[in-house]
Amino acid sequence: MVLEALEQEGVDLIFGYPGGANLPIYQRLPDHPKLRHILVRHEQGAAHMADGYARACGRPGVVFATSGPGALNLVTGLCTAYMDSVPMIAITGQVNSAQVGRDAFQESDVIGATSSVTKHSYLVTNIAQLPRVIHEAFHIAATGRPGPVLIDICKDVQMAEAERPARQRVDIPGYQLNGHVKLDQAGLAATALAKAERPVILAGHGVILSHAEQALLDLAEKAGTPVGTTLLGIGSFPVNHPLSLHMTGFMGTGWCLKAVQNADVLMMVGMRVDDRVTARLADFAPKATTFIHVDIDGSEMGKNVRPHIELVADARQALEAMLPGIDSVDEGRGRWLAQIDAWREDHPLRYTHSNGHLQPQDVLIDMYKRCRSEAVVVADVGQNQIWAALWWNYDRPGLFINSGGAGTMGFALPAAIGAKFALPDVPVWCVAGEGGFVMTAQELSVAVEHQLDIKIVLLNNFSLGMVRQFQDDFYGGVRSQVDLTHMPDFVKLADAYGLPGVRVEKLADVGPAMDAAERTRGPFLIDFRIDPEANVYPIVPLGKSLNDFWEAPVGE
Amino acid sequence: MSDRPLPPGSPRDHDAGAPKEPLPTSPRGGEDRLRVLSVLVEDNSGTLSKVSGLIRRRGFHVRAISIGPSREPGRFRMTLEVDAGHAEADQVLKQLERLVDVVEVEDLTDHDVHSRELVVARVAVSEVSALVDKGARVLDTGPTWTTIEFAGEGEEVGGFVDELRRHGILDVVRSGPVVMRRTAS
Ligand SMILES: Cc1ncc(C[n+]2csc(CCOP(=O)(O)OP(=O)(O)O)c2C)c(N)n1
Repeated sequence: MVLEALEQEGVDLIFGYPGGANLPIYQRLPDHPKLRHILVRHEQGAAHMADGYARACGRPGVVFATSGPGALNLVTGLCTAYMDSVPMIAITGQVNSAQVGRDAFQESDVIGATSSVTKHSYLVTNIAQLPRVIHEAFHIAATGRPGPVLIDICKDVQMAEAERPARQRVDIPGYQLNGHVKLDQAGLAATALAKAERPVILAGHGVILSHAEQALLDLAEKAGTPVGTTLLGIGSFPVNHPLSLHMTGFMGTGWCLKAVQNADVLMMVGMRVDDRVTARLADFAPKATTFIHVDIDGSEMGKNVRPHIELVADARQALEAMLPGIDSVDEGRGRWLAQIDAWREDHPLRYTHSNGHLQPQDVLIDMYKRCRSEAVVVADVGQNQIWAALWWNYDRPGLFINSGGAGTMGFALPAAIGAKFALPDVPVWCVAGEGGFVMTAQELSVAVEHQLDIKIVLLNNFSLGMVRQFQDDFYGGVRSQVDLTHMPDFVKLADAYGLPGVRVEKLADVGPAMDAAERTRGPFLIDFRIDPEANVYPIVPLGKSLNDFWEAPVGE
Repeated sequence: MSDRPLPPGSPRDHDAGAPKEPLPTSPRGGEDRLRVLSVLVEDNSGTLSKVSGLIRRRGFHVRAISIGPSREPGRFRMTLEVDAGHAEADQVLKQLERLVDVVEVEDLTDHDVHSRELVVARVAVSEVSALVDKGARVLDTGPTWTTIEFAGEGEEVGGFVDELRRHGILDVVRSGPVVMRRTAS
């Protein structure tokens, strides 16, 4: 019954792991050849694969896990998807309904453990509920502000037989998609933007989720307004566009931060305005007299910054509603854009490359020249993530995948695997630090088993780089528990899993290694031994305002 | 108006001068952090824990709660008095609305409402007549004690409980409030 219902939802791929409490489902799996099941090596891997799959193609990723430890291994993956509004369906086995609450073998309160990291969840104790629940779950996961939905199904329900009722239209009184739409201030927002002397637009993930990139481009050009993106908003506005401010936030570009801090009108679209974007909240955009916030989730209005003008709607709908309201633009606009260009000149992205070490930026620049806008980059968490975000000219959505809200180390490899399943014809590159990589490295087996063409770029700096940098910069230089000694030889590790790999220590060897990776069909790993002291810049010290960003030391 | 400092990041604490045109201010999110909410929820497994989990996770604090079946089968009516903690007050309502099991939330703070609480107490027989004079009703009587009930607005009930203390209580239980608008909406 579970599998039929999934087929009805159009599912063709499942990432999962069997165990006692979901065996009835697995027993029937061979009868459903249209459902392709990928056996992962750890349930967390399954959740990140489903997540990468969903981010790459927009359809909900589906995960199976057994009860107790199996289901609890999903928690980090659910949280990662929840924080970044990624649609996912997790189907977990639960003990027999008569045993619930008796601490049966491998029983755990999965709903209780996951309700703060799921958009919604169901415990199914009766077969009669199942068809409706599965249908509703897909609807909830994929619509509005997307997110993961968990369905915990008791084992006896998995075994029960029932007539399949005709599919009914979803009607969930507590989940009304258009109930909260509020666009009455669209005209006011347009006027505020057009009349502003120093306007800035910040664009988040919501722009990508609602396919609003064209509307954003039109609005920015019509209103002559520069656009910065959040980490998850990368790709919503082309980085090489003259109005682009590139990335904002506490590791954003100097010229973007200057623009935000000097803006008189700040419009935030499809974003949560979290602490990584605002740095010290009281000093966020201190000169702004008008905040405009656009988000599909009304609870974002005033959660962190109280807007003067709020548009509660899908970003595309909101931006399109604003467009006609932009007529003549304030005449000071030219001066403002010139000022931003001056900041761009004064605070460029830069890095040291004269100390003899291989620099991560050199690796990424070589990679960018090969990939341009043809490949999907899946980054892990830490310095590697920010380098991959900044040193690349993403010019459309979908090219950069990473765990922004949760910052989950170990995300990249399984998410890249999921993305590759979603986009078999697109090159997929996985960029990771060695620390995060070993957290889920067992999923290499999956890449090899399915001969997935994934290029793994390890930026190996022999430490938990981002934490090391924080300790150096903000914790008095006390390096505590950040040295990753005794890591595996990654080339041998690759070999042990059955994929080719090479090690690169010199700039001259970057190109040939990349060539080899590109020539190889199937997974390939490159262990780039980079400068162990390389840092991410700009960076705003913890607790400081966006004005106080530090820049890379001026190189030679 | 309380003298609570403005929330950080609130545009009002920027000193860059007033906006050029009068801008709309938010209808909610005022200074008062205590909200009285009437919440209609589905009777699903886990609904109560999802509501209470949300309140805890967002840093809100429940001051009073009551819950019972609503007019509609399969749905319960909760009355909540919630302190928004460090969040803006309108967050309580907005976050509750995000829960799929929550059908409807109404903010009754500062509205013209009937708000009733119930207290049931056991007191020594000798004390009863004074309490009956204050409006208590006798539920039953034993050899040395009498059980009484009293219903009223929160403050009245509070006053009544204070009064009970002076009379020596053997036992007392008090409900959370149930709240309804005075006029049909
Ligand atoms: C699961 C998890 N644990 C801990 C952290 C905290 N953390 C953030 S970045 C980082 C260092 C990452 O090191 P590495 O993977 O080697 O990447 P690098 O920063 O060196 O590029 C750590 C430990 C995290 N984000 N996720």
